[in-house]
Amino acid sequence: MGSQQLELLLKDITKTFPGGVIALQDVSMKLRGGEFVALLGENGAGKSTLMKILYGIYTPDKGSILLNNEELIIRKPSDAIRKGIIMVSQSPQLIDRLTVAENLTLGLENVKPLGGFSTASIMLKEYSVKVGVKIKPEDKVWSLTYTQKQLVEIVRALILGAKVLILDEALTYLPIEERKKFYVFLQEFKRKGGAVVVITHKIPEALEVADRIVVLRKGRLSGELTREEATLERVRELMFAEAAKEITYERLPGSVKSEKPVIKAEDVWVQGDFGVPAVKGVSIEVKEGEVAGIAGVVGNGQRELLEALIGLRRIDKGRVSIDGVDVTNKGIGKIRNMGIGFIPDLPLRYGVSQDNNIIENIAVLFHREKLVIDWDRIQGLTRDIIKTFKILTPSEFYPVKILSGGNLMKVVVGRELNYSRKALIAYNPTRALDEITAVQVRRIIKDKAMNERVAVLFASEDLDEVYQLSDTIYVMNSGKIHGPFDPETTPREEIERLMVM
Amino acid sequence: MNGLESILGVIEGVGAAFITFYLVALGHSIFEKAGLLDLAIDGIFFMSTGAAVLGAVMFGNPIAGSLIAALVASLFGLLMAYLLTTLPISHGAVGLSLQFLGYGVGIVLGYPVRQQVGALYAFCYSQEALLEISGVALLLGLFIHYLIEKTKLGAAIRASGENPHAASALGVNVLVTRLIAAAIGFAIVGLGASFFPLLWQRYWDIKVYTLGYGWLAFTIALAAGRHPIFLLPMALLFGGLVEYSVTIQSMLKLPADVAKLIPFVGALGAMLAYSFTKLGRIFASPQSLGKVYYKEEKTV
Amino acid sequence: MIRLVVLRRTRPLKYGRFTTIALSLIAGIVLYTLILAAIGVSPVLTLSIISTSFISSGVVKDFIVLTVLGYALLVAFKGSLWNIGAEGQFYMGAVPVIYLTTIAFFTMGNVSIVQSILVIIGSIILAIIFGGLWGAIAGAIKAYAGVDEVPVTLILNYIAYYLVNILILGPFQGKYVYGYKRTDLIPEAYQLGIKIQFASTGNPIIDGVLSYVRELIIHGWWLVGLALVVFLVWWFFNKTSLGLKVKVLGSNPDYLVTAGWDVKKVIIATFAISGAIVGFMSALYLLGYLLRLEYPIEGQTAGYGYLAILVAWLSLLDIALVPVSAYIISSLTNAGIAQSSAPEVKQALTQAGFAGAELSFRWVMIGSILLTYSVLRFLSDYEVRVIRK
Repeated sequence: MGSQQLELLLKDITKTFPGGVIALQDVSMKLRGGEFVALLGENGAGKSTLMKILYGIYTPDKGSILLNNEELIIRKPSDAIRKGIIMVSQSPQLIDRLTVAENLTLGLENVKPLGGFSTASIMLKEYSVKVGVKIKPEDKVWSLTYTQKQLVEIVRALILGAKVLILDEALTYLPIEERKKFYVFLQEFKRKGGAVVVITHKIPEALEVADRIVVLRKGRLSGELTREEATLERVRELMFAEAAKEITYERLPGSVKSEKPVIKAEDVWVQGDFGVPAVKGVSIEVKEGEVAGIAGVVGNGQRELLEALIGLRRIDKGRVSIDGVDVTNKGIGKIRNMGIGFIPDLPLRYGVSQDNNIIENIAVLFHREKLVIDWDRIQGLTRDIIKTFKILTPSEFYPVKILSGGNLMKVVVGRELNYSRKALIAYNPTRALDEITAVQVRRIIKDKAMNERVAVLFASEDLDEVYQLSDTIYVMNSGKIHGPFDPETTPREEIERLMVM
Repeated sequence: MNGLESILGVIEGVGAAFITFYLVALGHSIFEKAGLLDLAIDGIFFMSTGAAVLGAVMFGNPIAGSLIAALVASLFGLLMAYLLTTLPISHGAVGLSLQFLGYGVGIVLGYPVRQQVGALYAFCYSQEALLEISGVALLLGLFIHYLIEKTKLGAAIRASGENPHAASALGVNVLVTRLIAAAIGFAIVGLGASFFPLLWQRYWDIKVYTLGYGWLAFTIALAAGRHPIFLLPMALLFGGLVEYSVTIQSMLKLPADVAKLIPFVGALGAMLAYSFTKLGRIFASPQSLGKVYYKEEKTV
Repeated sequence: MIRLVVLRRTRPLKYGRFTTIALSLIAGIVLYTLILAAIGVSPVLTLSIISTSFISSGVVKDFIVLTVLGYALLVAFKGSLWNIGAEGQFYMGAVPVIYLTTIAFFTMGNVSIVQSILVIIGSIILAIIFGGLWGAIAGAIKAYAGVDEVPVTLILNYIAYYLVNILILGPFQGKYVYGYKRTDLIPEAYQLGIKIQFASTGNPIIDGVLSYVRELIIHGWWLVGLALVVFLVWWFFNKTSLGLKVKVLGSNPDYLVTAGWDVKKVIIATFAISGAIVGFMSALYLLGYLLRLEYPIEGQTAGYGYLAILVAWLSLLDIALVPVSAYIISSLTNAGIAQSSAPEVKQALTQAGFAGAELSFRWVMIGSILLTYSVLRFLSDYEVRVIRK
């Protein structure tokens, strides 16, 4: 940092993944000190991949990285860190069982192997004052909130002497107040000569804070816009080309719901992962044919609530009934047997079996009663799902692990949507799906509610999605629920206010 | 044999057993704290006993035996750590293969020498050495505790065991860290195992490989949360059980096999108790123990 | 500057499985040959003994046992459950067999066909149950206490050894054994071996073939059992719902939970089935070959339980490859035994100081085969690419 102008050039980066997926094709991008760049693009456009290459997590097949005209060899994150290039992602990469100071010390090169943690403690205290959030160095990471963890990550970047800061959706899920503090701090970082690259899917926010916008589409550079040139329309165009017109956040037509409650939660209390209640006395009712959406910033108990409703988490107090039957703490097996679909958080980790093929992944859920599997029936079902969701695979017998991430998600979502006879419980149902498939999935969900009278309860960190899809909106904040609200009549600002208060 | 002598005899036996189990469990714990599953422990134990016998006889000095055992074990540890960290292969498979290999190498190292010499008595540690060696063992334990909990290297080892990917992102060189943990850890295992023939039993033959003492050490480490300080009472308990069971057997005229059963049933009980109590969570295994370390290059 | 990068393959290597197995075996054999050469045994001799062992008649018995045990372990391994307790399950399965045949229904003379059949079938069924229960204990401990099954099954092996030893010296002590520490011989009425004899033709090749065929016939009932096991295991994994759950358990137990299944029950059932198959073989082995138990028990079965691990792994958990893998391992084991009785080898071993420790080299061979295999295994799913900068 200092007076010398920093210039980072990524040149002709090409990267292919196993499975033949071309993630990046001859992408070049420039970063200058004192600049705030927003890197945009739809899912799978390659933005994350490009930055991971810069940070040494991936190796490019072709291309080079130049810092002030000197070529860099970056093979692992520590190489990038040494050059002042540091990435913070949306999931904190910290070791839970260690303290904050211990985590930070691991990256400090000037502390010797037998040295202690005091250096990191001092630096942490210094920077946490600068950014404006309180963290104690001797706290164990597992006891921190998401916000605090992200702050530790940013502080870590600063302690390590970051000159180029890459934020891969790092701020997207923070509450607005915290996010604002960060943007203020980042402006200062910028003024001191640092460069910032932010990857986000919140386009309006990007337009507000960025000096320059770089858009990738299907692995290639689609275009660049300066702050003055950038408008929502132009960005959308660069991101989606003609398909942009298909993207709509218009509300899907509402369904007529009956009066019969399918999912009913009464004063439910659920423990979180760290000994503190995550859900505090939530009561909710979802009727036949109704789509209820829970809006909220990540980490306010939505995940725990949904996990408790499907039977994966213990309910400490209160009752849950599905279709009139009390299922409180009776286990997920009983609930699944009733024909309830479930899209979990981290579906690739919890919702799929990588070493098995597509048809096996579906068979495990579907056939429930018999000793012997009816493979013919399952095969027909699988083919249906592959067709409906346009899953790219040579056949249904291919192992799931060679599918790309997006296609894998389609398997999970397709399977669960198909399985839902009475109800569907979903967490971030369209995460990791490209916008076109995401809209398709939402349409199918709405369709199931309308025509098959399925009750849908979902939670999403994407407020746009909640608005597009729900007949009824709830807001979850600090374990408590607010609502029900009617999306047609409730102003958006009110929902947003409840999310962050 | 008068009362005092027999009591001293028991203390001596338990003391030597304790030292053996403590050091083997300690070294094994360091290795596993770095995230490497150690299923080779029984084979490494036996191999080290064979190496110890070889070293002691060759150089006419028990200390040489201990050092050679430590060295040989350390080399195996380095090999294991290297393979498991650079290649995406199963910890369990490699561990078990090295276990069998350990049995074989142990026999190859120790057998010819033992046939040649017959009795090991002359090459063993003296009775008085017990006190000094206990002191060394305790000091070693304290040092390891300090290393693991209060230094950057220790934090790096723990980080590699909890989440090597995050550790790497945080700046840890996981390979080097694991190699260090393996070298130190298995050296201590070799050292501890060397005390079995040279201090405790003052005897060695091929049958030693059927004893399963490596697995007892494994259980001790598991039950004590791989914590250098809590390993002390655990190792004492098991050392006592093993030594004492022989005494019980001769006192109560029980068949030898019942006596041999006791430590193993105790081990099973310890594992169960540990998992059902709060201790289980405090002493939880490193999260990434035994997980294949492979940087998945996948989109999304 | 070149750099090696390990990447996942897009498609599994075509002859990867074959190459992995072949290379592992070669590595083990080479190491074995080298060690023996180092103490003075001619490599030519070693290799010739190894090659002839493939067609020696001693292979048949081991082959059948290891194939059945290999399948037993395959069931557990496919669920990522490392059943190292086959030894213990084997001996626990032997307990009811010995009890029924040498205690409860012991006879010195003839019995009716009906009684023979009932005792034999009863023994087999109880052996299956005992083996299954011993396995289920490990499964329950893993399922409810979350303890790693490897040390648990191993400890259960030791507990089984000592328990059976106690029984042999106690209630199972034979009455007609002149004070030796063993059980009585299983009465002929209950034995499964098919008695047959071929006259020697004088021609060594034909004699060799005849003795091989003779072995097959002697263990005729075992072959029937083997066929049964093969079919059941195939049916289990391809047609049943539990079989599919075991496969998913091996890949991602979290998904099994999300799909609403009780993982605990699957774990226990898998271990039970694995142990049951081991128990089955145990009954066949006792009734058809071993015919009694001797004290101490540890060395009685040549470590079949551990060799079976090798068989299961080497088969890459492929149902079709288990017999192939078992045949190879049996041949190598027999080579080891044949080796140690050859006079030249005995002499060399004695000179080098290894008299009495011949079998130790077997461990080195097994260990190095397994190690090479474990390391090479990854090559079928991953590739190593050279990147030039």
